[in-house]
Parts: sequence; structure tokens; C-alpha cells
Amino acid sequence: MPRVLWPLLNDRPIIQVILGLAQGGQQVARNLRADTGAGTAQSGFELLLDEHDCLLCGGIPLQGALLGGAYTGSYPVYLVQVRIPLLGFDQAVPAVGVPAGPAGFDGIACFQFLNRFTYGNFADPGQFGLEM
Amino acid sequence: MSTSKTVQELNRELAKKLIEEGRTNPQSVYAGKFVGIANGQVVAVADNWDELARRLRQAEPDLSKTFGVEVGRDYDVVEEIWGLR
Repeated sequence: MPRVLWPLLNDRPIIQVILGLAQGGQQVARNLRADTGAGTAQSGFELLLDEHDCLLCGGIPLQGALLGGAYTGSYPVYLVQVRIPLLGFDQAVPAVGVPAGPAGFDGIACFQFLNRFTYGNFADPGQFGLEM
Repeated sequence: MSTSKTVQELNRELAKKLIEEGRTNPQSVYAGKFVGIANGQVVAVADNWDELARRLRQAEPDLSKTFGVEVGRDYDVVEEIWGLR
């Protein structure tokens, strides 16, 4: 099974994703804080991104979401193409667009996204990774 | 008011109707489906977001005129993002 590991960033677990279609359109690489405490397994979104990134990558507007906690209020949601090439992952994923991600990161990979994979440090405390 | 804004308003109005229909009529043909709207009309129906994205891009290349909704989802639920800032 393919596995990819990333070094911790600011002592926090991250995953790196590429946003945007592989062919045509803008593509950007982003470091997302891996956070199982963000949302639930049934949330209406899987990522939290800077709204500018959602638009830059040709996100499809979806019905918005209501957030509580660190972000409160009504936020737009976009269907964004997300790729993790080393895993062969390439799917459209709903992402809530916020004015700015958490300090030091480009956004958040929420529980519902992480839960698509086997995730963890795979016995290396300095890294975090995903396995399909 | 720009044309695309008018289109998005039409899209959102239809999405609102579909969400309401999903609430009141579980037998709706769209219940449990991921529905793509473009220019104020349903143009794609799928079983997941990835499939919907592909169908919507085929139906309307100008994505600013598109919109998606999951019929049957409770959009009034507040999703918690714990203290991360």
C-alpha cells in the first residue's frame, strides 16, 4: 500500500496537497494542518482553505456551512480538486473557504478527509503520514 | 449587477428549493443525491462529490455559473472547528 510521510511543521502534523486540476488551470501546493478535531466523519466539508485558494483553483461553489469554535458563522464551501500524487489520490473534495487559515499553515485537513486514509506517525515521532 | 451574480442567485434559489424538498419529501428523486446546478437548472446528478465535479465540468465549463448541493444534508448543523488559531 502506498504511504507518504511529511516532517512535522511547527511541531504539528501536516499533509501536503496539490490543489487544482492536473491538466489546465492553476495548481498550487499547500501545507495543511492535519487535525482530527476539525469537523466530524459526517461534516459537509473535508478541508478548510483560504477562500482565495478555492477560487484560484477553480472551485465549484457549493451550499455554505455553519462553523463554530475557532471559526464562527456562515462560510462558503467549494468543490476543489485535491491531489496527493505519491498516493495516486486525485478527487474533488468539499472545502470550506475562510479568510485565513490557522497561523503557520495554509489550511486544515479535517477529520473526514484524514479518515479516508490510514493516518499517523507510522512509528516515527518526527513525521506524519497517510497510507491508502 | 453582473450576469454571473444573477446566475448564482438563480442557482442558490434552486438549491434552497432542493434542500427544502429533501427535508419535506424523503421520496424526492434527488434525496441522498449530489446535485449540480448551472444557469438556474439541474444539469447533473451524482452519488458523490467527485462524480458530480466531473459531470458539472462537462455540462458547464464556466464554473462560476455552477453550484452544487447535497440533497438531504442538514445545512443548519454547526460544525465545530476546535481552537486552532
